[in-house]
Amino acid sequence: MKWNLTLILVLIVAAVSYGLYQLSYEVQQLGTDLRKLRAGITENRASVQVLKAEWAYENRPANLQILAAKHLPLLLVAPYQVAEIQDLPSRVTDPFAASLSVIPVPRFKPWRRGYGNDDTPQRPLHVAKYVGPSQIGEGVE
Amino acid sequence: MSDYSYHASGSRDGTGAKGSIVVSTQRAAIHLEGSAKETLEQGRNRLVVAGVLFAFCFFVLAGRLVGLALSGIGQDKDVTVYSQTIQRKPTITASRADIYDRSGVLLATTLDTVSVFADPTRILDPIDAAKKLTSVLQDLSRASVTSKLSSKRNFVWLKRHLTPKQQNQINSLGIPGVFFRKEEKRVYPLGPVAAHLIGYTDVDNNGIAGVEKYFDDGLSGRNGSKVGPISLSVDVRVQHALRDELTRFMSIFRAIGAAGMVMDVKTGEVLGMASLPDFDPNRPQDFPSQNKFNRATLGVYEMGSTFKTFTTAMALDTRSVSLRDGFDATDPIRVAGFRIRDDHPKKRWLSVPEIFIYSSNIGTAKMADSIGPKRHKAFLRKLGLLDKPVIEMPEVGAPLLPLRWNSLETMTISYGHGLSVSPLQLSTAVGAIVNGGLYIKPTILKKSAKEAPEGKRVIRKKTSDTVRRLMRLVVEKGTGSKAAAKGYLVGGKTGTAEKAVNGRYKRDALLTSFVSAFPMNNPRYVVFAMLDEPKGNASTHGFRGAGWTTAPIVSRLITRLGPLLGVKPVDEASDVVKAEMFVPVYSREKKLATY
Repeated sequence: MKWNLTLILVLIVAAVSYGLYQLSYEVQQLGTDLRKLRAGITENRASVQVLKAEWAYENRPANLQILAAKHLPLLLVAPYQVAEIQDLPSRVTDPFAASLSVIPVPRFKPWRRGYGNDDTPQRPLHVAKYVGPSQIGEGVE
Repeated sequence: MSDYSYHASGSRDGTGAKGSIVVSTQRAAIHLEGSAKETLEQGRNRLVVAGVLFAFCFFVLAGRLVGLALSGIGQDKDVTVYSQTIQRKPTITASRADIYDRSGVLLATTLDTVSVFADPTRILDPIDAAKKLTSVLQDLSRASVTSKLSSKRNFVWLKRHLTPKQQNQINSLGIPGVFFRKEEKRVYPLGPVAAHLIGYTDVDNNGIAGVEKYFDDGLSGRNGSKVGPISLSVDVRVQHALRDELTRFMSIFRAIGAAGMVMDVKTGEVLGMASLPDFDPNRPQDFPSQNKFNRATLGVYEMGSTFKTFTTAMALDTRSVSLRDGFDATDPIRVAGFRIRDDHPKKRWLSVPEIFIYSSNIGTAKMADSIGPKRHKAFLRKLGLLDKPVIEMPEVGAPLLPLRWNSLETMTISYGHGLSVSPLQLSTAVGAIVNGGLYIKPTILKKSAKEAPEGKRVIRKKTSDTVRRLMRLVVEKGTGSKAAAKGYLVGGKTGTAEKAVNGRYKRDALLTSFVSAFPMNNPRYVVFAMLDEPKGNASTHGFRGAGWTTAPIVSRLITRLGPLLGVKPVDEASDVVKAEMFVPVYSREKKLATY
């Protein structure tokens, strides 16, 4: 009994010392990792700051103006080019196309995806076709 | 055994000397266990005492350990270390906070750079080292580097703020005695755009001009103030458009300087503020000092006829004249040796609207004279034209007031001569006239939408409505017709002033300005432009007045700014807008009879 107790104690002491030893090294390792990470964060922050400055530099308005003048056929916005969404004419649907929307379409079947042609409508046909006023007259006739 | 124990306990329980006698008699009588047993007992007792003591100590230790583990003091220590490093970061690696515009565009930031220095005492071969160094740093002369490296000191700067590439190259040269040091550099990515507004810092990152100086403590965290980035009210797009147009027209009319301002009339925020010629804040030392002079806030000028806006507003607000009234502008006024004449003489009786739209000095002077110097002065003070304006910039010019303010001064100041104010003051005052009559303090800091600007009433709402219609009329029919920007209902007033040089007015040196607001049916922005000494050219038929030189700036600027600022263009010819902007002119001009 006494020997058993001693043995258990010795084992516990050994286990605890091993554990503590491991823990201590782990802590040291974590400390090193932490320092590295902090250094990395600082460095990244500095890099981000540089990139931000560079972004602002490349996007300075004078530069954009030169690039736009070189590559885009843009002029100053004239008042007639500015409109609000309410100013747009209401959408006119071609009567024939609208009649198509009530025709049922085959239901979507997953096994037909591979070989079916891509034009197959995947959902009930919804026509959103803008027809100018001049074309409506022709369509009705 | 049990007998002994009984006796033993009996002897302990026994009281007085009797018990002890019993024990002694027993000892004397029976020696059951012997002295060895007794010693053992004593030793065991001692062991128990020692054991209890040790156990107590261990319990204390264990308890302390548990206590420490639970209270988390170890973690606490770690947390403090972490927070210290975090707090130290902004103060050491990025000490100076950033400056942004109203939409978050970076205007000024601090970057970590590397500088290279040498310890000449540890340089083995100065000539060879200089040769190697100048092969990388080509802007340095080899002779100066050699002399630096062969000096007796133990520290010489070779070059401040290297590029990473240069640093890498120098590092790979591997010269002993050459070292790097981390430094900080203030960088202004947008360069000269808004240079006067932002200002700049010296080598040690102390703000010495503009916002950098005014908010130096807040940006650097010195004197215990909180470090934080600053959002200015300026809009980079507006600022660039303003600077771009001013630069263009400055070169077209060969002016020596220009200034401009775009301001929100409802909040007092400055959206753009430009002064030309300007400088690059990244390298301010390369520009002459006159480039650093901020004409928009520090410069004070006699603004000329733009002051007629205030005179007319005052006359209408005090009800000393009505729109129906007018003054005879046939002959120049002679007063105290001065002659007040018109630039655009009509030589007839002019109504109040006509005086304003044809910019009649005679009419305006008579109008101001009928009000009197005292009320004139009080009115201009209410508009903030007689005191140094309050704005978040160190470069703010105080207005130059006349020594005396009598009838003559009232007459000249009524059309903008004799009182010098800065473009900032003028724009703020015009903003107060057109926005419904509230004076709102100008600011260069972004205001949140919730902050209701508190205004001080200077004129009645009705007067403000009339005056802005008159300003619209100036652009429609009067001297400012070149300021029209189709769709944006521009209204404004021209101002052409002769520059006072050594106490005399110089006829050939003009200062032309145009102050405007748009859209005039509900003014939102004040736009001011000024040219210093413009010269006429063929396109203006040699004229150099504000209507020819500065009004076109405003026209182009508003055409550019309207879509940027989300102002919806209106059809100026439509009946609704015409009715909205109608103001009777009451002209008595003799028309030729048409039968």
